[in-house]
Amino acid sequence: MHEFNWGLLIVVYLFLGGLSAGLFFAAGLANYLEVDGQPAYPRIARMGALLAPWPVALGSALLILDLGNWYRFYKLFTHFRWESPMSIGSWLLTLFTLIAFAYAFAWLPEEWRMKLFSKVPATWKQVHRLNVDLSAHRKTLAMIGFPFSIGVGIYTGVLLGAVSARPFWNTNLVAQMFLFSALSSGAAALLLAMVLDKRNPIETHETKFLITLDIVFISLELFIILPYLIHGQLSVLAVKQALWLILGGPYTVLFWVFFMGLGLLVPLAIEVYELAPSLLKGRTFHGSRNLALAASSLVLVGGFLLRYIFVYAGQLSSFHKMGMLH
Amino acid sequence: MDIRKRRYALVIDSRKCINCKACVVACKAENGVPTGNFRNWINADRQGEYPKLRIDFTPEQCHHCEHPSCVRVCPTGASWQRKDGIVLVYEDDCIGCRYCMLACPYDARYFHEESGTVHKCTLCNHRVDKGEVPACVETCPSKVRVFGDLEDPAGRLHELLATRRHIVKEPQTGNGPQLYYLL
Amino acid sequence: MGTTRMDRRLFLKATGATAGAAASIQVGCLSYFKKGRSATADRREVPTTCELCPNKCSAIAVVEGGLVKKLNPNPENPKSRDMLCARGNAAIKQVYDPDRIKQPMIRVGARGEGKWKPVSWDEAFDFAAKKLAEVKEKHGPQASLWSSTEGFQEVFFKNLGLAFGSPNIVRHPTLCLASVNLAYSMTFGTVPSFDLLNSRYVIMSGANRFESIITPDTMDLIGGVMERKAKLIYLDPRFTVTAAKADEWYPIKPGTDLAFILAMIHVIIKENRHSKDFIAAYTTGFDLLAEHVKSYTPEWAEKETEIPAKDIIRIAREFSDAAPRSLYYAGRRSSWYQNDFQMRRAQAILNAIVGNWDQVGGMVPNAKLPKGEFLFMPWDEPKAPRVDEIDKHFPLAAKGDGVYLKLRENVLSGKPYPVKAWMVYKQDPMNAMPDQAKTLKMIEGMDFIGVIDVAMSDMAWYADVVFPESAYLERTDPVEVMAGIWPAVVYRQQVVKPIHDTKPNLEIVQGLAKRLGLSDYFDYTIEQWVDAEFKELPIPMAAEHMKKHGVWAASGQPSYGKTLTPDHRFVTKTGKIEIFSERLKEAGHDPLPVYASPEQPPADRFRLILGRVGYFTHANHSNNVWLHEFMKENDLWINPKSAAKLGILNGAIVDVTSSVGSVKLKARVTEEIRPDCVFMLHGFGKKSKMQSLVYNVGASDAVILETAWDKVSGNAAFHETFVKVTNA
Repeated sequence: MHEFNWGLLIVVYLFLGGLSAGLFFAAGLANYLEVDGQPAYPRIARMGALLAPWPVALGSALLILDLGNWYRFYKLFTHFRWESPMSIGSWLLTLFTLIAFAYAFAWLPEEWRMKLFSKVPATWKQVHRLNVDLSAHRKTLAMIGFPFSIGVGIYTGVLLGAVSARPFWNTNLVAQMFLFSALSSGAAALLLAMVLDKRNPIETHETKFLITLDIVFISLELFIILPYLIHGQLSVLAVKQALWLILGGPYTVLFWVFFMGLGLLVPLAIEVYELAPSLLKGRTFHGSRNLALAASSLVLVGGFLLRYIFVYAGQLSSFHKMGMLH
Repeated sequence: MDIRKRRYALVIDSRKCINCKACVVACKAENGVPTGNFRNWINADRQGEYPKLRIDFTPEQCHHCEHPSCVRVCPTGASWQRKDGIVLVYEDDCIGCRYCMLACPYDARYFHEESGTVHKCTLCNHRVDKGEVPACVETCPSKVRVFGDLEDPAGRLHELLATRRHIVKEPQTGNGPQLYYLL
Repeated sequence: MGTTRMDRRLFLKATGATAGAAASIQVGCLSYFKKGRSATADRREVPTTCELCPNKCSAIAVVEGGLVKKLNPNPENPKSRDMLCARGNAAIKQVYDPDRIKQPMIRVGARGEGKWKPVSWDEAFDFAAKKLAEVKEKHGPQASLWSSTEGFQEVFFKNLGLAFGSPNIVRHPTLCLASVNLAYSMTFGTVPSFDLLNSRYVIMSGANRFESIITPDTMDLIGGVMERKAKLIYLDPRFTVTAAKADEWYPIKPGTDLAFILAMIHVIIKENRHSKDFIAAYTTGFDLLAEHVKSYTPEWAEKETEIPAKDIIRIAREFSDAAPRSLYYAGRRSSWYQNDFQMRRAQAILNAIVGNWDQVGGMVPNAKLPKGEFLFMPWDEPKAPRVDEIDKHFPLAAKGDGVYLKLRENVLSGKPYPVKAWMVYKQDPMNAMPDQAKTLKMIEGMDFIGVIDVAMSDMAWYADVVFPESAYLERTDPVEVMAGIWPAVVYRQQVVKPIHDTKPNLEIVQGLAKRLGLSDYFDYTIEQWVDAEFKELPIPMAAEHMKKHGVWAASGQPSYGKTLTPDHRFVTKTGKIEIFSERLKEAGHDPLPVYASPEQPPADRFRLILGRVGYFTHANHSNNVWLHEFMKENDLWINPKSAAKLGILNGAIVDVTSSVGSVKLKARVTEEIRPDCVFMLHGFGKKSKMQSLVYNVGASDAVILETAWDKVSGNAAFHETFVKVTNA
């Protein structure tokens, strides 16, 4: 039996990294959308901006803890190896995290910012210099951040996809799959956060926007997963055998019932059920709070499961079997 | 001073392998491999139905590939390859991310719990540099492995690979493995 | 290439950097290599001789920081063929085994309970000597039993038993290879080696040479089969590694090998393929043989062996065509069936009639090398007869080795006289002898049991006092001449000082002798003993050479045909190779091998067969951490057809029951065994908690094996047990 070298911490890290990317992307997008010259979704943009940096920061911390020598993590930044996805990813992730924090800072309400800096000792002059209002630069920061958020979303997939030794991962579709899953998770997380924020109840048009966004991302994700399965079946034996892991093997139920079913198709169905009447028959969009809650939670679970299944099943896939005994 | 280009490799006549595990234990001792981890091993492929049966034993270890995917994915350059082809881990730079373990198509690496770094077959480079052969090669009762320099036109490897049919394992990974199995 | 890092040492070599730069890089190198890598200042290399199995391979121990780091093969010994097997490599872990006996111990609880009191050597010696003296006083010196397995220091132990006045020295051969030794001795007057390096056609009954490693046979045979196009015919109920490498494998019906051999002889004589000149010049009794084998036709043998007659005929033809470079290989651990001696005799006769004696690629009488002997004070021969009544029951057997199973029967019955003290050296009768319950009964009957061993074997676990012997890497041993086609003299010298409070066997023997009033017979040191042996080695500076090289072998090619001169007298009654043996006839045995169909297991039983793997030989190997990794538990091999009938699934726990005991272990449902046999590996299911890796793990074959022995040699017959297998 093969040993798992990458475990739950890596799963969580990949999920959180993607989540941040998705949050940033959705928030940035919301920031750009205007109706009649007025920002259409300022609250979404703010919520997303404020949430975006935290998951990736936590994820990176977990990743560092997962290292055999966590205190050597700095060596990731004393080397740059363009052939190593992890090397590129480390830089990408770091830059993205910095931009996400800057962007969040730009969205920080004035009183929060003042409160924050009031806790910094007055003698730390250099720190107080950072107490500036960046709200005018939100669009610029979002624009700079977009490619990085997409990059991080793709990177979490490329990290696995670039491993030629694992036929389960080594297709050109995993990166896109992880990207769209990340974007969908980001939209869902925003929806969830907005729904849960009881002091500022979510408004119908906001729900509609996020649900629409999520439907688009889930659909795109589905359009990647189906070719992944079909191509795999039509590919060389090693890939076909690797796919058995989710087509009859140990991860089949997890993949089809929990990920595809509960994590993808059920939330999609809920969201379509919510959106379709207003879209197709011109009826008013109601935006059930409970359904939004259910759909967004399920999407997040699905996003996590996708990474869980890929990390574990991928490690089981191989060109080669070890025969230690006899 | 000898600056001739070298390319070390192993030719393995696995038909002669009797699964005695001498190579595995010799490696354990030579390289201080912890219990439960292995730098080399012997695969057993058992086929057939009584009384028409077959067992094939194939010793294996790091293939010291021409294009080692473990080296490629290493984010710090700790996994590296000598000019003579030996793939090594420079422990001081290894952060223990284990990415190389996933990237190795042969599962030839293991995580050393104590040092928090990844270890692997070094082709006994400390012996090779003194002009000796790797421990697994030396100890083998049936002399299954032949160690040598592919760049040496008068060498034993050259002769064996020129005159005997052979295969490498999983060439489709593109790694260019350098363990040659005689048929 | 994926990286630009440069090997710093190569870099240094290639560029000739300035001294300053070199020094600074050197520091980097040192910090890189200091982590347990090579080239530390106190590195020593000490040549020595392995003791993990009876092959005695030459090894070079690498010592760093006072610890044995590595054992490398020593190419100077032609017998060990420049190799060291898994067991040999793992000898390091014999020294650094946390389970080792670290000081003498005296039992305080009940026997086998495992309650021990660590004591000083003086206390241990005093205690044992007192007990031995009591037994001697009460029952006479013959009431003590001295059992041991071969080893360079075994001689001291045997001598102590003899000096003590006991005739009851019992050694391992009747649990191992006594039948084969006796069969070849009775035929050729000596036990030859088999020239597998040059043989072109080899037949093997069992013997499983690729898993039961014997030097140089295993190495020579694999080279023969895979490189030199020798043909290997292999007969075994089990598909072993040897079967897998053989050109032809016949899963012969167990116990019928003799029928196969007799039919081969039949074919060879009938077709006039025997070596007439050789037979006429060097053998006696061929005509009787020709008459004797007339009824043993291949068609008859097919019914007995399940090997097709046409194959027997073909093999007989090929075998005689390849002669004299053809061999029916004898093997070791010939303890299989009650007709074992006769089966081995038939092999010897078959070899003789094709004239492969003393030929390149045939059987070769062992060459020896001279060595000196230390002259110690002799003692009076023990007066009492042996308790195993060897003269009466096994008059042809080797007296000095005894007959183990008959001995146990007699000790248990108390006849012809009681035996009340048992000293054991380097042996584990609990696992080495069949029917463990009987051995336990024998243990119960003892007033005193003392065990000398490196590890706490099951036997030591039941002892009253345990004397920890130093591991071989911690001692210097007597010099040994390894006779053979490529003879060598080997020397085992201390590699590291004992890491625990242990002593070499000689010092343990001396400690006991002193208290038994036998000091005069053991008044020497190992150095004196060894120096006397060095003196007559035919090389200059023999002692220096042996200490530096660990081995000496005569240079040059082996010589063949020394015995093939008209005036050569074989060490047999007639002075010839005895196809027909008068001595056997006189002793009441068949003078020519007579076949009797072996009993076959009833429908609901299986024949239990035994064997080895390359990394375990002795029962103690399974507790070596580097070997244990390859097999953590033994299992019961059973054919899928048989398993299906019994509803046994792969991996299920089964009860294996014979008439003497029952064990539980996992089933391994495998195509690699005959449907009427089951197989289990030796060395598991230990009772000793200081065999912690295998204590109570798997099962011990000794528990279910029944007592049976070969009629002529007294060799234990380990394949005569029928067992029932059921789901547990």
